[in-house]
Amino acid sequence: MEMQHNDLGNVRRIVLAGRMDTAGVDLIETRFGASIVPAGRNTVVDISQVTFLASMGIRMLISTTRSLSRKGGKIALYGATPAVREVIDTVALTDIIPLADSEDEAIGLVSG
Amino acid sequence: MRQWREQNGLRSAALVDGKLKLVLNNTLAAVEDGRCAVVEFLGPLDAMVQNRLEVVFEELVANTVRHGFADDSDQSIHVEVERGSGAITLTFEDDGTPFNPVQAEAPGRADADRVGGLGLPLIAKMSSALRYEQLAPGELRQGFNPRNRTTVSVKA
Repeated sequence: MEMQHNDLGNVRRIVLAGRMDTAGVDLIETRFGASIVPAGRNTVVDISQVTFLASMGIRMLISTTRSLSRKGGKIALYGATPAVREVIDTVALTDIIPLADSEDEAIGLVSG
Repeated sequence: MRQWREQNGLRSAALVDGKLKLVLNNTLAAVEDGRCAVVEFLGPLDAMVQNRLEVVFEELVANTVRHGFADDSDQSIHVEVERGSGAITLTFEDDGTPFNPVQAEAPGRADADRVGGLGLPLIAKMSSALRYEQLAPGELRQGFNPRNRTTVSVKA
């Protein structure tokens, strides 16, 4: 599991790559939260290179979204593969974190 | 669960009558080590089918290691993988605390106030058949006395 971040104007962008399974989440969970929550910025997360998502990964996304929302920030995901999308739909994750098709759409969702 | 990456998750793997039989150790490394053995055994699959299988495998194995076993015990999970005509069936047996993943109460939807509990609904929804049996304490089978059997099929 790999993670990078940069800023697009006022929006923070996180790029995740690899398997968001038990082992992958264990590797990046602390860094993921630390790259998003202290800055308090609206954040978009590119998950187009995430090849697998299970409950540990969903838990990490929800937990960080909740922490950021306490500081007034929003998160949107974008770029899910069909397999990852099925997992997201199965647990209705989009009730909490919106999922966009493109980066521009995701930025629009958190900036509105 | 300390230092779980340093432990080998796979105790043994064998092919018996065309089925894959795995014995997994009480470590979260069993999730990845077991998954690799299952993927290698099944060969190329439709990407959606493979993903459903991997989700089910991950959730069931991680759940047993986290909640069914005592820390640092030598308890184990025995997994049988069978490729049938319309489905792939995984049978999990373990000697941990009896736990029914079929009837367990779970929210089923992501909830901002409750971040856990999503594994069980994922298992239920990604599978085409799911059955649980609590096994009576019986004779040891090569040192293994299973208490839980969960059988799960994914349409292929």
